[in-house]
Amino acid sequence: MSTLIYLSSSPYSSTTIKEALDLALVFGTFGQDIRLAVTGEALALLIDNQTPNARQGKHLHKLLDGLEFYDIEQIYIKQDEIPAATSLWSGVTALDSEEWLNMLNQHQYIYRF
Amino acid sequence: MNYSLFITGSPTASRACHTALDFAEALLSDGAHQIHGVFFYEEAVAIANALAMPPRDECNIRNEWVAFAKQHSVPLYICIAAALRRGELNEAEAKRHEVANHNLAEGFLLEGLGSLISLTSESDRMMRFK
Repeated sequence: MSTLIYLSSSPYSSTTIKEALDLALVFGTFGQDIRLAVTGEALALLIDNQTPNARQGKHLHKLLDGLEFYDIEQIYIKQDEIPAATSLWSGVTALDSEEWLNMLNQHQYIYRF
Repeated sequence: MNYSLFITGSPTASRACHTALDFAEALLSDGAHQIHGVFFYEEAVAIANALAMPPRDECNIRNEWVAFAKQHSVPLYICIAAALRRGELNEAEAKRHEVANHNLAEGFLLEGLGSLISLTSESDRMMRFK
């Protein structure tokens, strides 16, 4: 059973992305085949050199390096959404539009946040 | 077919809980389908706040869900982490956090996200209401 956690909300405007990542980690803990897709406003999660304070929200970017310990090794982004002048976390796989659609079709369950 | 429901929309700021109940009632109306369980996450956990009192001339979606669940023996799970974050505790959690009051409505179960994983793997379809 492959499950995709599809992130499109801003990581700082609510607790949505935090709770989505919590779900992803629990899927990983239970040994499920779990992958992430990051698009739209959620891309802010991947931007390097973030320094949010406690009031702005939990430093979710720091969680990314720990995903591999939960066997979450596929984090997909859209090729055409890669920002030109901004450094993104390096562990992502960039897909073109056709690959993105194929990727979506490969998952039995998709949870959108 | 065996369904489970995953509800994340607020019971006051969205219609997610209401639409989900409409769907659940329709699903069980002809006996062809079953509901394995309902999992409330994110803002939807507010449905289990026993202290929320909608006006008497409005739908009490909490009570409607509890009645439906009792009639059809469907478990209603509330994510424990999401609930605690939003000030919803059962008696055991109130003791653990050393606070005087608890407000989880009867008919709801505080459970971890592992229960959602189980529902996902044990159901033919997982329906999301946001």
